[in-house]
Amino acid sequence: MAKQDNREVVLRLSDITMQFGGVVAVDNLNLEVHKNEIVGLIGPNGAGKTTAFNCITGVYEPTNGAVEINGNVVIENYPQGKMKDEYAGKNQGKYTKALTMLPDKVTKLGVARTFQNIRLFKGMTVLENVMVAMHMNQSESVFGATFRSKKAREEEKVMKEEALELLKKLDLYDNRDDMSTSLPYGKQRHLEIARALATHPSILLLDEPAAGMNPQESDDLMRFIGRIRDEFDLSILMIEHHMQVIMGICEHIYVLNYGGQIADGTPAEIQANPAVIEAYLGGDE
Amino acid sequence: MEKTLNNKTKLVLSIAAIALLLILVYVGDNTIPANSSWKMLITVIEKGSIFALVAASMNLLNGFTGLFSLGQAGFMLIGAYTYAIFTIPGKSHEAVYQYFDGGLIQWSIVEILEGKLGVFGHYIGMFIPMIGAGLLVAVVAALIGIPVLRLKSDYLAIATLGFAEILRAFFQWNSLGPITNGSNVLRKYTTYGNAIFPVLVSGICIAIIVLLINSTYGRAFRAIRDDEIAAEAMGINLFKHKEMSFVISSFFAGISGALLAMFQTTINAMPFNTVMTYEILLIVVIGGIGSITGSILGAFLFISTSEWLLRGLDAGKWLGISSNLMRPGFRKVVFAIIIMLIVLFYAQGIMGSREFSWDSFINWWKNLPANLKAWPAKRKAKSTAKKEARARKAAAKAKAKEAKAEGEAKRASGEALFTPLPTSDEVMVFGKEGK
Amino acid sequence: MGFIQTWLPYILAGVAVGGQYALIAIGYTMVYGILRLINFAHGDVFMWSGLIMVYLITILPLWLSVILVIIFAIVLGTTIEKVAYRPLRSAPRMSIMISAIGVSYLLQNFALYITGGLTKTYPTIGWLQRTVSIGSATTKMVTLVTPVLTIVLVFLLVMLIKHTKIGMAMRAVSRDFETSSLMGIDIDRVITVTFVIGCALAAIGSILYFSNYTGIQPMSGAMPGLKAFVAAVFGGIGSVPGAVVGAFVIGVAENLIKGIGWTNFSDAFTFVLLIIILMVKPTGLFGEKNIDKV
Repeated sequence: MAKQDNREVVLRLSDITMQFGGVVAVDNLNLEVHKNEIVGLIGPNGAGKTTAFNCITGVYEPTNGAVEINGNVVIENYPQGKMKDEYAGKNQGKYTKALTMLPDKVTKLGVARTFQNIRLFKGMTVLENVMVAMHMNQSESVFGATFRSKKAREEEKVMKEEALELLKKLDLYDNRDDMSTSLPYGKQRHLEIARALATHPSILLLDEPAAGMNPQESDDLMRFIGRIRDEFDLSILMIEHHMQVIMGICEHIYVLNYGGQIADGTPAEIQANPAVIEAYLGGDE
Repeated sequence: MEKTLNNKTKLVLSIAAIALLLILVYVGDNTIPANSSWKMLITVIEKGSIFALVAASMNLLNGFTGLFSLGQAGFMLIGAYTYAIFTIPGKSHEAVYQYFDGGLIQWSIVEILEGKLGVFGHYIGMFIPMIGAGLLVAVVAALIGIPVLRLKSDYLAIATLGFAEILRAFFQWNSLGPITNGSNVLRKYTTYGNAIFPVLVSGICIAIIVLLINSTYGRAFRAIRDDEIAAEAMGINLFKHKEMSFVISSFFAGISGALLAMFQTTINAMPFNTVMTYEILLIVVIGGIGSITGSILGAFLFISTSEWLLRGLDAGKWLGISSNLMRPGFRKVVFAIIIMLIVLFYAQGIMGSREFSWDSFINWWKNLPANLKAWPAKRKAKSTAKKEARARKAAAKAKAKEAKAEGEAKRASGEALFTPLPTSDEVMVFGKEGK
Repeated sequence: MGFIQTWLPYILAGVAVGGQYALIAIGYTMVYGILRLINFAHGDVFMWSGLIMVYLITILPLWLSVILVIIFAIVLGTTIEKVAYRPLRSAPRMSIMISAIGVSYLLQNFALYITGGLTKTYPTIGWLQRTVSIGSATTKMVTLVTPVLTIVLVFLLVMLIKHTKIGMAMRAVSRDFETSSLMGIDIDRVITVTFVIGCALAAIGSILYFSNYTGIQPMSGAMPGLKAFVAAVFGGIGSVPGAVVGAFVIGVAENLIKGIGWTNFSDAFTFVLLIIILMVKPTGLFGEKNIDKV
């Protein structure tokens, strides 16, 4: 379990449990992401990977456990109300605080994400999609922005330049004025990442970035993820089904099955782990 | 063919068009005699511009922020009353508030400022209560927004609708009589002298709305409309931006209420009911949800047809046709049917989500003859395509039916229990329309 | 004793009007539960049922009129669903709500045209109007009949939802629309049945309601409709018993407020209640929390 890594921990999940009614979707997940590390989160369908992402980003309130970002506990919860009696997870009583955080606040802390089922802003161009993500760093009031104060014009100009720069880096510059929905599938995935990068994250959560890609494309994606990690000084946590991608790029891998954490380790360790093989191929019952 | 104009030309063109329009309105209102039937045109321009403003304000919410609010009539009511109450001249109070001993407020802002600053003061005196009306409505909207906007937008619809209904009762409440005149009309307050006034005020307000929509905040609003969850993940505070859009939209609804009060010269709470909100919403739909140009066109189309062109339907004679069916109320029925047809078969409205621009206008104008020529062929192609689609659908249906019958026969004979599911899109009950 | 003497009439009236709201609220809550649609036209179906009764009673005997009014409401409601809602089922949710508003606008304007804008007098149904006295309070028969009839009908409806095949289909559809359509449930049929039940109850509600209020005009459906919807939200939208409890609470509270002498604010109370429930418990009394999938 214990891994040797001297880099600082930027994201830590402690005993994260998410229970919907009687269903425990994520069961006692403990996970660490170090600075500039690429960490994989894998598991069969329905293993609770996306739910874990939703707990980190504030979309769901975890039932029990805590999330720590850059050394500060920002989300913490324990079973309350009706859940007190229905709780089926572990570590009840370990956590006593109820700290919640809305998704936009989590993003402001430097955690950006992409979505499994691409969620671009459909009524907007590629450039606008990226510029929306920069809106939160804008300091001009709505009044100033409407009447185009000097500050607003400057901010808008800087925002546009930066967005175009980003689009150039991500090979979307030529599509900048296209509607986001008219992009081919692969480019839509790129745009999702571009949009996430526009929020100036230090931690990037990628939810199945290689979904629907052929081996050649996933190869490119792999290199691409490594590149943005270096270029933008990121720590990355990614969910992925393409083993080729995961094994090729991740330094550390966590494996979930039926919500529970069944293994973690380096790619080589995971490939040799009997529990993982059973989860993926199905043991004989 | 796609020629674009440079920005300077566009600006000149815009200024020229606006100036020409304002001059025409001004001269028109001054020269057309009161008994001419063309006076109706001026009425349509006045009322149309007021409804264009309220429709644009509703579009900001419904079309650009994705919030379904139905409080527009209620907000106009507050705006209209606020304006009227503070501009009734002192000496008229006795007559207006005859059942309430001349009312509580005995002065008029217009009068006070006119006495100090002359004609200039007169207009300032009109603007202050008008802006005040907008601000009051904005405050009220902010208070409603705090509990409701944190929830699903369905609740916003019902809460605003309910609120607007209750406001009517509130303004007619007898105990408030010294201020609102109870259920009696408010009259004799200061109004404008020329139709250019509502056109100018509405125009400025709509321009501000357009500027807002094209600012970074407007982009955030549209992001919320397109995908709330993604917008939140981009660091956009949902509540803050929804509240902002709701408050700003309500502010302009308040201003349009004040303008409506001026246009009508007398006001009463009664007509600010759900029907009025529905009409504003339908203007937005006719014009195109998500297009301010559409809201403006929709407003003028709606007002001109309902106030003017379809009048005959109520009077028994229209376009030379007369019928027993045509009696008071028939116009609105025809209108409602037309609107239902638009909602069901032409959901895009006039403009969809497009906006006016000089480039597209000039191109449209240039291509008009060619398009007109090509129109019959296009129509024919469209109708054949439709026919084909229908035939395909019928075939698919027949096939599905056959398969079902076959399956049932098999089941009856106890043969195979597993019949493959039909895979064609057209027989799926809840399938999205395939392109 | 004096306390009861003063308040009993208000409570009785409140329970009666609550029952009438309940009958309307069921239509809202069931349609919302299945289609996630606020059926803005429902209040107008209610109003039209009342209006048709006014016309029918002049030529037909009472029992036949009552039956025909219920049939009329069912036909009207299902037609609206078929013409105005079904084609838009895969369209954005706002379009279908706008369509509902369009229908409401059409029904109101058509009523305005037919009635000429005049308030019509609702026929007196002798038996319902008879005066009865309970203890010291005297009231009309309709006041006593309404709650009893409401509870019987709701009981039957709950049995239907719990124990029949179509009821099970309804529950499945309201839980997950798309999955149940894939499971071979005939969605169209479920929706039609929902509208049939909702409209029939609204028609019965209209007979009871207008027997109490006598006057009927094109806007008569708006306020009861709005209150019934708030009742549905109060009870937890999608829940039939919730809507009924909510309706009784609104009915009684509204009449008690009238009793204090704040008649003008009896309508405002409904709105205040809505705001409070949305702030304190947005899912309503019996509602379940819906978690959106991301």
